[in-house]
Parts: sequence; C-alpha cells; structure tokens
Amino acid sequence: MLAIPDNFTARGLIYLALVATLCAMAYGVAMGSYGLIAGGVWQQMLYGAIKVPVLLLVTFALTLPSFLVVNTLLGLRGDLKEVISALLTAQAVVAIALVSLAPLTLFWYASFRDYNNAILFNGVMFALASTGAQRPLRERYRSLVKRNPRHGTMLKVWLVAYAFVGIQMGWVLRPFIGKPGAPAQFFRDEKWDNAYVIVARMIWNAIQP
Amino acid sequence: MLGYVRHLDRILRGEATSFDAIRENRFDIPIVGISFVLTILGMIYGLCMGTFSLTAHGSKEGMQILATTVKVPALFLLTLIVTFPSLYVFNSLFGSRLNLPTMLRLMIGSLAVAMAVLSSIGPIVAFFSVSSTSYAFMVLLNVVVFALSGFLGLGFLLQTLHRLTIADLPAPPPLPPPVAEAQHTDAELLGTTTEPSPSLSPIALPDRRRVSAGVWLIFRVWVIVFGLVGSQMAWVLRPFIGSPDKEFTWFRPTGGSFFEAVAGHVQRLFGA
Repeated sequence: MLAIPDNFTARGLIYLALVATLCAMAYGVAMGSYGLIAGGVWQQMLYGAIKVPVLLLVTFALTLPSFLVVNTLLGLRGDLKEVISALLTAQAVVAIALVSLAPLTLFWYASFRDYNNAILFNGVMFALASTGAQRPLRERYRSLVKRNPRHGTMLKVWLVAYAFVGIQMGWVLRPFIGKPGAPAQFFRDEKWDNAYVIVARMIWNAIQP
Repeated sequence: MLGYVRHLDRILRGEATSFDAIRENRFDIPIVGISFVLTILGMIYGLCMGTFSLTAHGSKEGMQILATTVKVPALFLLTLIVTFPSLYVFNSLFGSRLNLPTMLRLMIGSLAVAMAVLSSIGPIVAFFSVSSTSYAFMVLLNVVVFALSGFLGLGFLLQTLHRLTIADLPAPPPLPPPVAEAQHTDAELLGTTTEPSPSLSPIALPDRRRVSAGVWLIFRVWVIVFGLVGSQMAWVLRPFIGSPDKEFTWFRPTGGSFFEAVAGHVQRLFGA
C-alpha cells in the first residue's frame, strides 16, 4: 500500500489502474472459489476474475466524465491530475485490501458452507475494503481541500455518485459467488432489474398496511 | 470545430467569463460555433437517453433513439427561441443595460454549460438504461439528470449576469478594500501564491460582493419563464424515452402536463 507512487504522471496512473485490475482479479478468483470448495462449479472463479475488476473500474470510468466536468465548472481544473490520482489510488487500495482479505474469505468458505452466509461475508469484506480506502483518499484530498475548500464538496459528490453507479453495477453483475446446484453462468437468467426499483418496492410493501 | 470545442472548454474553466475578461469587453462567446457544439453535446445525451428503447423492456422501436437524439438539442434550442424575446424585453424593462448580442451570448453560454454537464452524465444514464427494467425509474432518473445540469447552467447564468452588471457600472468598480481581503480564507490566499488563478470558476462569485437585487430579480424572472416553457416544451416534444407499451410516434397527442406526469411516475416507481 505504501509502494503506490505519489507522482501524477500518465505512467503512475496506468500503474495504479494495473494494480487495481490485478488485485481485483485475484479477489474475484477467491470469491468464485466458493463453487470449488462448497461443491459447485469452478467456472465462477473465471467469471469472478472478470467481474470484480469490471465492477471497480467500469464504475470508475462511468462516473469520471461528469465528475471532471463539474470539477472544471468549480474552477478546480488545475488540480485535475492530483484528483484523478487520488481517486485511482482509492480504487487500487480497495483492490489491495480485498486481496489481503481473500484468505479470510477462503477460510470462511472452508468452515461454513452456507450460500447466504457466503454472500453476506463477501458484502462485509467489500464494506471493509471500501472503508479502508477512505483513509488514503481523504489524506490525498486534504492538501487539495487546503488549496480550495470546494474539493471537499466534490469528494462527497464523488462518493455519492460512485456508490449510486456501483450499487447498480454490483446488482447487474450478479452472481459473483455462484449458487450451489445452479449451472455456471455469467449473468443471471432472470431479467435484469434495477436495484433501486427493487428497494423502492420493498419500502412500499413494508409501509403499506 | 476543434476551435469551438476549445472555446467551450474556456467557458467551462471560467476563462471566457472571468471578471477581467468581461471588464475588458472580451466576453466573446461565438454564438453559432457554441450553438453547434451544444447541439452535438445534446445529441450525445439523446443517444444515451434513447438506449432504453432498444432494450427488452423498452418500446423496442428503433426510431425512438434517432428521435431522442434529435429532440434533446431541439428541446433546448426551441425553448431559447420561444423565450428569448420576452426575456430580452423584461431585461430592458428592469433597467439592465445588456445589449442583444451580449444577452444571446449569455444564454448560449448557459445552455452550453448545461449541455456539457448533461452529456457528461450520459454514460451513467446509458448504463442504467441497459440494466433497468423499470420505465418509471428511467423517466425519473432523466428528470433528475436534466435538473442537475440545468441547475449548473443557471449557476453560470447568475454569476455571469452578476459580473456583466458589475462591469457595466459607469464608475469602475471599487477595488476590494483590505477589509474584504481579510475575509478571504487562508486557503484562497495560499492558492494565489502557488498558482496564477487557482479558483477561476464560472459559477462561483468572483469576490465577496453580494449579487445586487436587480440581478436577482432578472434572474428569477428568467428562471421561471425558461423553466416553465422548457418543461412544457419537453412535454410537447415527448416521447423521449419511449413508453414500453406504446407504439413509436414522433409526437404524442397533446394533453396533460409535465408535472402531473412526474408525480404519476413517482407513484408507479413505488409500485402503486
């Protein structure tokens, strides 16, 4: 984590993206190994190696354009390289943290075979990794905020926008783990749906008499 | 073309509408060129917005995406054409000294900012379009995205109007006294020493002087007129997304209003 370069060159950014991709792939394999351990299918490891990097980096790529335009409008274009570097660092740190948590995931799979618990455990791992990445992100943003307080607002905007896209991305890319007994599949057969619509319906059903 | 894109970039960075540029009469947004660029940007968003019609849960009408691509820029340009005469007259009545070309530049600049934001959110909308099954969600997401970009466009409008009004005062505007200087945060002062113009923003105030009451009044009238005409124009030009259970038409029969429809979709999203 400490080896991440602090420079803002194109090479540095590519390096960060590469680290994020490779680590995310590694965690994807670990995540998909549930099939192998709990008596499912091995293909999910392969899919996981594709899906976890896609989850992190495609969400990043979709959210970035609007973020950059709004940054420019707020007069923060001068700090662009530092901003992108800070955000990519956060991506890389999430992925590195996930890799470091992978042995725990494997251990969990080996000790508890329940599918729903496996999902829950992975959710906790992602939450932990994301929380861990907040620290370097905020550290890098601190000097930016000192230069211009508007960076602080933009950091919040980024986190909200990234979560908004990321939640739907995670929903679309299911299954990550692979239900035992179900055939290996890249996407669920059931129709894609919107995570937010489902939540809205659940809330509506809960508050209805 | 590339020159105009560069000019759009100058608008977004705030160089085109910086206080110095305006005071030196260099408020020179090329009207035709920027209109062209903002049309392209609107078309990019239209393409993203229309993708829902191609999915299994959309209207599955191939023409819809083409129609939406044309309609998004048309929505903004037609609203501008319809409202511009009355806005200009209002403006003169309230005693503003802005001339016709300046006002047109101001409006085109604001639309360009809104379109730049809109098209930059396009990829997110396209992603939700292909991965959602709920038509109501897509309608509401698009309404929110349009509102966000409109909001930033209005920020540009207000600040540029403010700067134009200050620069237009007969006496040169008094330089900020040292007292005002002290109000600046340390961070801002720190910034000025490290970089030439660290926070040159087209939507933030150039200094701590308050926006005058006259500017606020004109701005409010513009927002109300432009907002009401714009939302009704969107209603007249619908369908943009394409209801899954209706056939493709270029225009739907008149009736109803924008606000009723949004309220209806909120109810539908929650399954009622």
